[in-house]
Amino acid sequence: MQRRVIFNEKLLPYLLLAPQLAVTLIFFFWPAGQAIHMSVLSQDAFGQSVTFVGLDNFKEVLGDADYVKTLWRTVLFSSAVAVTALFPALLFAVMAERVIRGATFYRTVLVLPYAIAPAVAGVLWLFMFSPSIGIVAYGLKKLGIDWNPKLDGSDAMILVIMAAAWKQISYNFLFFLAGLQSIPKALLEAASIDGASEWKKFWTITFPLLSPTTFFLLVVNIVYAFFDTFGIIDAVTNGGPAKATEVLVYKVYYDGVHSLNLGSSSAQSVILMAIVIVLTAVQFRYVERKVHY
Amino acid sequence: MKMIRKALAVAIAGTALLAGTASAQNKPIEIQMWMGLTGLGGETLTKYGEEFNKMQNEYKVVVSFKGQYPEQRAAAVAAFRAGNPPHIMQMFDAGSGDMMGASKAIVPVSEVFKRAGMQFNPGDFIAPARGYYGLKDGSLLSMPFNVSTSVLFYNKDVFKKAGLDANKPPATWPELIAAAKKIRSTNAANCGFTTTWLAWIQLEQLGARHNLPIGTQANGRGGLNAELNFSNPLFVKQVQTLVDMQKDKSFDYKGRSNDASASFQSGECAMITQSSGAYGGYVRDAKFDWGVAPVPYWPEVKGAPYATTVGGASLWVFNAPNRSAAEFKGVAKFLDYLKSTPVMTDWAKTTGFLPATNAAFKYLTDEGYYAQNPKTAVAIGTLANGKQGEHTGGYRFGRWTEIRDYYHEEVEKALQGKQSAKEAIDNSIKRGNAALRAFEKTAATN
Repeated sequence: MQRRVIFNEKLLPYLLLAPQLAVTLIFFFWPAGQAIHMSVLSQDAFGQSVTFVGLDNFKEVLGDADYVKTLWRTVLFSSAVAVTALFPALLFAVMAERVIRGATFYRTVLVLPYAIAPAVAGVLWLFMFSPSIGIVAYGLKKLGIDWNPKLDGSDAMILVIMAAAWKQISYNFLFFLAGLQSIPKALLEAASIDGASEWKKFWTITFPLLSPTTFFLLVVNIVYAFFDTFGIIDAVTNGGPAKATEVLVYKVYYDGVHSLNLGSSSAQSVILMAIVIVLTAVQFRYVERKVHY
Repeated sequence: MKMIRKALAVAIAGTALLAGTASAQNKPIEIQMWMGLTGLGGETLTKYGEEFNKMQNEYKVVVSFKGQYPEQRAAAVAAFRAGNPPHIMQMFDAGSGDMMGASKAIVPVSEVFKRAGMQFNPGDFIAPARGYYGLKDGSLLSMPFNVSTSVLFYNKDVFKKAGLDANKPPATWPELIAAAKKIRSTNAANCGFTTTWLAWIQLEQLGARHNLPIGTQANGRGGLNAELNFSNPLFVKQVQTLVDMQKDKSFDYKGRSNDASASFQSGECAMITQSSGAYGGYVRDAKFDWGVAPVPYWPEVKGAPYATTVGGASLWVFNAPNRSAAEFKGVAKFLDYLKSTPVMTDWAKTTGFLPATNAAFKYLTDEGYYAQNPKTAVAIGTLANGKQGEHTGGYRFGRWTEIRDYYHEEVEKALQGKQSAKEAIDNSIKRGNAALRAFEKTAATN
């Protein structure tokens, strides 16, 4: 006999949902609504003069050559972070999958960096690569490499990409490992019997079967690089030198908090919101449906 | 021994109990103060709050750290909009223009004392600080508290190693360049010279030292319609000098704000232009013999060197619809305590900041503090005793923190070889003026 509990009351389900709904409304919808509201206003920092300006803030932001540059820089940064985080993760996952003795130990060690807060990761990298006191910077200097991320924009970019990708490797590693474990062993064994090399097996069987995981991770990594790298950039470069590492989300912070230019900052957050909505839609619609085994 | 300890414990418990009942009878009025200082400065300022609370029981001052100046300012702005800003906020020099634009949000400090019916004489404060934070009529907008200026710190050990006279620091820029080149050619250090606070030292202090304006309307102090005009060839020359020196590391750029400080402290860079407020840190952490000298000048400029100008921060009083007269009175009392000579002298001795009042300066001089600590006398020498000119009195522009960053960005581009020194200056002026016009538009509609 099946036991079912039926609530006749309509109130109870809503009551049970209420805490979660309240959290979502207060911490997500309300600030988002505020951002949209402020993006159509022009005001001084203290809110003493507020005027409705329609879409002027958006026109100003999108017409600003610096903003467009920042947009491209963000695209470059995110792709670089995604690629740098995906390849080593795949390599590690394939290697860890082959290990028989102490597999758990290796996996734990590889996952550890994910537990570290972004700002802490940023500070660790900052110390290692700081031109004045960093141990790695010291080594680079000994090798005759002129390393100064405080002045050289490319050095700074390389530094934040590495710091941002480093901790994401662990996350990707976990998913790749799970993906690898779900590949039917029969397929690989059949290929072995047919005399396929390891290399051939990887590219014709493992890699295609991993493609849903890879696509998923690609989107997740790009979203991460777009929105979650603020702490690292703030700790390592403050967006400098000369804006070389200023990405969209950092610009929102800088224009809002440092410059107190609330209208422009809000307009930028609304644009970012649109980007994240598009990326999420891509993830749900395109990625989950179009990738086939 | 045990007896004494027990007696002491009882005494303490008794006092606490008494204090408890006293506060229960008439609850002290809480005065919130937000500060932007960490480390030694922050600890010392918190201590003054606690001491003030022990002295009386009418008011209770709560000093809290809400983040570095920009973050703290953003938090205060949000609090103001919610109708509950802190009573007192410490704001760094560059934020003064923005605060002044918010005329309804602040109460000038002279006015605070007047409302409280307390004596307040702006003339008690040292002239450079009075000029920086004051109005034309002599009244003060904010109360100067941690006052600093720019100086040159140099590593005497490296000077000796390079065959330079360790007791004769460079007085002019050509001398500094020669010394830095010698340090590099003898390989006495990896970097001859570096600078902290790029815009503050290489633009603002450079202007004051040579009596050159960086903006119209008395460097912004005359009105919101001020325009930046630091196109004098000297400002270009300064950037060009840094670009040229960067090539052989006789100058090495080490980042914005205070980032470069570590490279002097570690011995990597032999000279650094820095805030005089860094003194306390170097006393504690620098493991070599070092000296302090006035910030250099260009001898070809007629009349140079002039005085340097103030940096540091001042205390602003916020207004709010629900603020009572009693609260403002408490604010005035606490500010009065902070500017008292014992607090000011203790502050200067502990942190290395300059005393903000004439009385504290006189007290320290009479006591022989400057004679015993000549390194700390250098800053006060160029700031208060330097030659005053039309353009040495300080700056007040809106959105100045942002404009400083424009200058940082443009100079960084010049140092990277992406543009000329002249382009760096021209672009900073152009972008800075656009920000000033935008500020004028929002502030003028108040």
